[in-house]
Amino acid sequence: MALEEHREAVPSLNFPRQTLVSLLVFAICWEALSHLSPYLGIPPFAIPGFLTIAKSVAHVTPIDIAVTLARVIAALLASFVLGVFLAMAMYRSETLDNYLHPMIRILMAVPVVSWILFAVLWFPGVEFRICFVLVIVCGPVFLVDMLDAMRNVPRELRHMMRSFRPTTPQFFRKLMLPAIVPTIFTSWKVNISLAIRVVTIAELVGAVTGIGHQLSVAQELFSVSDVFAWTVVLVALLFLLEALVAAAEARMLRWRT
Amino acid sequence: MKVPPSGGPPPISVRSLRKVFRQATSGQAVVAIDRLDLDIAPREVVAIVGQTGCGKSTFFDLMIGLEAPSDGTLRIGDKSPYHDFDFFRGRIATVFQQDRLLPWRTALENAKLPLELLSVPEDEQRKRALSWLQRLGLANFANAYPHELSGGMRQRVAIARAFALQPDILLADEAFGHLDEVTAAELRETFLTLARECGSTAILITHQLEEAISVGDRIVVFGKSAKRLADIHVESWPKSKYGLLREAIQATLQSDKPDVRLTQPPPPRSSTGERGPNERA
Repeated sequence: MALEEHREAVPSLNFPRQTLVSLLVFAICWEALSHLSPYLGIPPFAIPGFLTIAKSVAHVTPIDIAVTLARVIAALLASFVLGVFLAMAMYRSETLDNYLHPMIRILMAVPVVSWILFAVLWFPGVEFRICFVLVIVCGPVFLVDMLDAMRNVPRELRHMMRSFRPTTPQFFRKLMLPAIVPTIFTSWKVNISLAIRVVTIAELVGAVTGIGHQLSVAQELFSVSDVFAWTVVLVALLFLLEALVAAAEARMLRWRT
Repeated sequence: MKVPPSGGPPPISVRSLRKVFRQATSGQAVVAIDRLDLDIAPREVVAIVGQTGCGKSTFFDLMIGLEAPSDGTLRIGDKSPYHDFDFFRGRIATVFQQDRLLPWRTALENAKLPLELLSVPEDEQRKRALSWLQRLGLANFANAYPHELSGGMRQRVAIARAFALQPDILLADEAFGHLDEVTAAELRETFLTLARECGSTAILITHQLEEAISVGDRIVVFGKSAKRLADIHVESWPKSKYGLLREAIQATLQSDKPDVRLTQPPPPRSSTGERGPNERA
């Protein structure tokens, strides 16, 4: 229990010493390999040194970062709204749940690559393709998380609330949605990570902007340092978004402390 | 939506009430309430006692209107709490065994919850909820979250939440059963005083005879399937005979048959200035 409390109390951006040590060891090994690669029969471009990577990072174009970020945030918001409303409808109607549940299971089982290919074949617009892929992948995750959380709201609280005869919107606004706030944040963290990975793959196909497109260009140019630089940007973006969600979570759930 | 105008609580009438559940696993029918007849007058405080599984809580759910009767009628005035569900918004309030406070709301926010559901103006909500918290001795804890309060304090907030509505009908299901005896006695007293001040009809479900005798104007004893074994007007019993009354109810519950002491007229008052019923509270 004490350990759990300690873990919760540590902010996500607070790097413990062990993390720094492991990162440092990795960096030293990488740099050493980049210098030794000619003697190991590895092509020189395969393992660039940190100086080369730093030059690539310096040439990262902010517009591509902004475009990818905008796509991720817009698609996540759309997925979240869709997921929450469908979850509320399915919570209210057992019939709707029975009809939609198998469909959701199927949607979740389809690989991301298949969705990308479907999107390319079905839709002409690049932006719509990317948004479609992100929503079709992240939406069901939000939906399933929200529905499970609603069903786990204690029966006693639902009973108490119903005894005061709320309208349906009041029932969700005053009880169900506040009760599932912790799950909403957990689901956002999972989906941010998922969306960052999916958007990159979606941008590889057909997009002329965004981090995925830049990765594709780097691959065509055999520039490992550029791939490395854009990957660093993606990881940093993920950490930044997760930190923002964690900050909002700490603020909204301060009643728990 | 406005707070409904109230001309005092309507009478409650239960006729041949039956509630049958079907067990999910075996599909077997279980008769929770079998042909119950009961009348409750406006502003009466009725304690319903019975052993675990006798149908008390089912009766509570039927009174709230969350369950439909399988047969028979339950009417409050000329309306059914189940079929006329929305009519009773703001007219029925409940206090449960556990406080059932919303953990993300402060004491004040919990107390004003039913007023929010009635769309009472924000200022009025705050004023009324604060005044009830004050009356229940929680003025200094209005901004505390439930986990910062003791069990007794949380139950006080739950009582404030119920009274904030100033309801026609107050329902309490084992509301003081899990508290220590001193806190429970104190809260029972407060609950009774406030119910009388509000002019509400109060129905308390309990398995504690002391609680039933100390709070109820009437005690209705439920046997199996909510069979009405006894209906006792406490005021007709002298206070000195409460021990006898308790024993008779106990015997009734154990045998599932009305004890002979409850079927006869209550023992006469002693001539030594025995206190009458209205002096109890």
